[in-house]
Amino acid sequence: MTRKKLFYMMVLICGVFTACTKATLKQSTTEDVNIVGYLRQHPDSFSLFEKVLVRAGYSDYLNAYGAYTCFAPTNSAVQLWLNKVKASNVEAADINTLQDMVKFHLLADTLTTASFKDGKLPVPTMFGQFLVTGVASGERGSSYLVNRQGAVTKSNVRVGNGLIHVIDQVLEPAKLTIAEELAAKPDFSIFVEAMKATGYYDRLNTVDADTAKRWMTVIAESNKALADSGIFSFADLKARYSHTGNPAGATDSLHMYMAYHILSGIKFLGDIINAPSHQTLQPQEVISTQLINQEVVVNENVFNGVLEKGMTVDRVASDNAATNGVWHSIEGHYQVKYRKPTAVYWDVATFEEILKLPATYRKASKDFVRQSEADQPLKDITWGWGALAGTNVLSYYYGPTVSIGQYCNYQDAIKMPLGLPNRPTYLELRTPPIIKGKYKIWICYSARNQSTSSQQLCEVYVNGTLMPRTFNFVVKRPTGTNAELEAIGYKQYTENAASQMVGRLVGTYEFTTTDRQIIRFNPINGTQNDNYLDMIHFIPVDDDQVFPRFKPDGTQLFQ
Amino acid sequence: MKQLLIYISMFLILAGSVSCNKWLELKPNDGLVREDFWKTKEQVSAAVTGIYASMLDNTTGKTWAMPEYLFIWGEARADMVSPGFATRAEEIDIVNMNILPTNSYANWRTFYETINYCNTVIKLAPNVMNEDNTFTQDMLNRAVGEALTIRGLMYFYLVRTFDQVPLKLEPTVSDNDLSSMVKSSSDSILNQIVSDLKAAENLLPESYGNTSVDRGRATKYTAATILADTYLWMEKYAECAAQCDKVIASGRYGLVNQETSLFNALFWIGNSVESIFELQYDAQKLNPFFMMFAANSRRWSAASHLMEEVYGVDMVNAIPVKDKRGDGMALRAEDATIWKYMGANDAGTATRTADQSFAHWIFYRYADILLMKAEAINQLDQPIEASRLVKTIRERATALDFGDAMDSTSKSGMEEYILQERSREFAFEGKRWYDLVRNAKRNNFAGLRYLINSASKSIAPDMQQSAYAKLRDRNSLFMPIALYELQTNKLLVQNPFYK
Repeated sequence: MTRKKLFYMMVLICGVFTACTKATLKQSTTEDVNIVGYLRQHPDSFSLFEKVLVRAGYSDYLNAYGAYTCFAPTNSAVQLWLNKVKASNVEAADINTLQDMVKFHLLADTLTTASFKDGKLPVPTMFGQFLVTGVASGERGSSYLVNRQGAVTKSNVRVGNGLIHVIDQVLEPAKLTIAEELAAKPDFSIFVEAMKATGYYDRLNTVDADTAKRWMTVIAESNKALADSGIFSFADLKARYSHTGNPAGATDSLHMYMAYHILSGIKFLGDIINAPSHQTLQPQEVISTQLINQEVVVNENVFNGVLEKGMTVDRVASDNAATNGVWHSIEGHYQVKYRKPTAVYWDVATFEEILKLPATYRKASKDFVRQSEADQPLKDITWGWGALAGTNVLSYYYGPTVSIGQYCNYQDAIKMPLGLPNRPTYLELRTPPIIKGKYKIWICYSARNQSTSSQQLCEVYVNGTLMPRTFNFVVKRPTGTNAELEAIGYKQYTENAASQMVGRLVGTYEFTTTDRQIIRFNPINGTQNDNYLDMIHFIPVDDDQVFPRFKPDGTQLFQ
Repeated sequence: MKQLLIYISMFLILAGSVSCNKWLELKPNDGLVREDFWKTKEQVSAAVTGIYASMLDNTTGKTWAMPEYLFIWGEARADMVSPGFATRAEEIDIVNMNILPTNSYANWRTFYETINYCNTVIKLAPNVMNEDNTFTQDMLNRAVGEALTIRGLMYFYLVRTFDQVPLKLEPTVSDNDLSSMVKSSSDSILNQIVSDLKAAENLLPESYGNTSVDRGRATKYTAATILADTYLWMEKYAECAAQCDKVIASGRYGLVNQETSLFNALFWIGNSVESIFELQYDAQKLNPFFMMFAANSRRWSAASHLMEEVYGVDMVNAIPVKDKRGDGMALRAEDATIWKYMGANDAGTATRTADQSFAHWIFYRYADILLMKAEAINQLDQPIEASRLVKTIRERATALDFGDAMDSTSKSGMEEYILQERSREFAFEGKRWYDLVRNAKRNNFAGLRYLINSASKSIAPDMQQSAYAKLRDRNSLFMPIALYELQTNKLLVQNPFYK
């Protein structure tokens, strides 16, 4: 009996204890909210945008796992927009309009304000168009401006599935094509007329479903820019260029004029200045672009020592987004330039970095050491990293009293170790601008054996194309007359007739664009340090290949 | 028998408890507490030395060493440096004016650590007079003077970098002292700096009788120099010139002369006759610069336009005229290495190795006094007198005349020229950004072009337009408050630019 009592008591006691511990276990690992959660936490600012998300059917996926950037317009911004689209409230608005609006505010990536540039964001919106960012400075300080519409009032709010930037105005995508936007501007009437006459209007007026083909960039000339060049009407423009009388034909110069003003791809000014040249729709013609004193300048180049002034892009009137691309306004008139191919006698020992050292340049030798594979001390010269770290040295060699250097053009050269297994695996240089056309390419070097058995056979690539002939840094020039030598691909390129001064023809190459080109030397047999490269000649195929020759003081000898 | 057992056990318990009385001791046995410190003059001296030591490196390991901040705050946003291949993403954000509150360089903690050491000395040192009879009033003055000077210097950096910061003048010696603080206005901070430095000037000796100590410890003239710089920032030009004159009249400083190698005297050896205050690194205590500037891990290099546009390249003379401050001192032109901290000779052939990375960080040197005075008296409409001072500096450096000549008749011309001369003289010494801001903000931002021009050289081309628009906002010139500080101190308000 007592045992039974005791047993009941114990059960009771146990019961009391267990009943008292109602453990509240935390089910979540974090209290961070997602995008929609954040909007719901701040109904004062975002209740309307949150309603739009719900109505558009996007609130669920925006509240799940992911990585998005959301530009969240405030309530007052959404209300203004609703008035604009003539909807009394969110429920009354057209569902497609709402969906498009939300898509235009969402990006499938997390972008902080640090990746906002002068131009488009790196990824398009879910709507398909790119957003343009910038900074506007006003009474209340500077703030980021998105799509030239909404100012960012609170940035980089980090939530569970991405980032939120609060904006004070709803962003609206462009509705017109490039052609329509330009046609709506009376300032561009002559240019638009030319677009129509050449048949490009239709092309610039379509939005291709294939995004690879959709985007185009137009550099438009305003009536004022044309007037500055003496063109006051379309008739003037046509009279000046349309030599066939049919501007729609591809060989007509007016057609080329128009094609030369269209670039493929969507290129805001921020993208344009990040590359030195851009392919136009005119086959094989590029425009060069650069940033000079904060201005974007098109086609300012130096050819054979002559500076050709370029045209400045009107920044304020540029970066106009359209449904199929972007258009810019330029302050001057320019046309494709036809240039006769001209020989380039390139002294490779004159490069930007050595020019900064007046005490060394043409006065003393100097080593340029690459400390690691990632290090790039020279702007226009690079090489494949050599396994033996100490061989990664490009020397500026000046030798007025030594046979290697004294006959060279200006008595200097560059010296570069090359060859597997330990030395650099290739040498790559960027040439000065070369006008498009067909050229013979001569490698001019001072032959030298590091030791009697050294070999340094190299193949040459021009813009990635292998040249038919190889050359060897240790091989001297054979004997023979100029004609005999030329027939077997050699020439004497210096005034001095020493057989170590070798001009070696490696092949003929047709440059398809007028641009700075890439030339690369690949060692294929042997390895040594003493490779002295003096010059590279690019001579149009129809020109004299043997003359001029070069004196040690740099003057040219024409016979 | 049973009772005996009880007695024995009671005795044991008693004995056990009394012998254990050390357990009840609360003092740590591996360190000192405040009640045991601050008793002797040696301890005061150690505390003051601790202030300087705290500037050599970070003390908690949670931040960077102070000179790294001084370099990045003073140079990264300006046009004298460009990022190398190993630059951190957040450093590139600073270059491009994209600083976020999460950027680890937008962190003032290292500076407040040093300020706390200063506050501690200022508060606790006077009481040592009662404890140690050999601790004299002179010694106390010196200790407090040094602490006031360094505190002024720290706040001067903070006010120029963050504009408004909490003005903490009491030490944090216990948990009870932890409290949230609001930001003070920049004016009240600057006024505090001025009164601190004025007090320090009267407390500090002119010299400690040893040249190298005079360069590493605050003297009367250290305080006077910092005060001159503060007045210049506050646009009180007459006061600034008067402070500079004090230092000039002291006769304790001079320019390293022309025959000697400037690089060797100032940066390889250090503690030169020209130096006023520097952080004295040595083989036992290395600076953080090796990992920042060495070619193998280069985060920062000299900007590519320096030789052509800042120092000038002489293409005319057979023996080129060479500005001694350019190639071989500030930088090595061929690979844009920041030579002041990486070089081992002025021929440009030998670099410091990792264990030689102890170039001093120079806060102020005599050339700075001359150019600060030039800037001040130029603003007082004495451009000709200012031009004489600039000439002294240029002749010492055998500077090359190129570009626009110095126009000693025009105040605005001289303003621009002095700014250029400062960039040549103090390249990479952490001064360029502050020089630009100081000249830009004068007369309600009449000199905004200085900042825009600098941005056009240093900022990536596809971010320049944004940067120009940002620079028009005064608040963009100051760093954001770090996110951590905002979270822990709820009274802080973020700089409105970083909304």
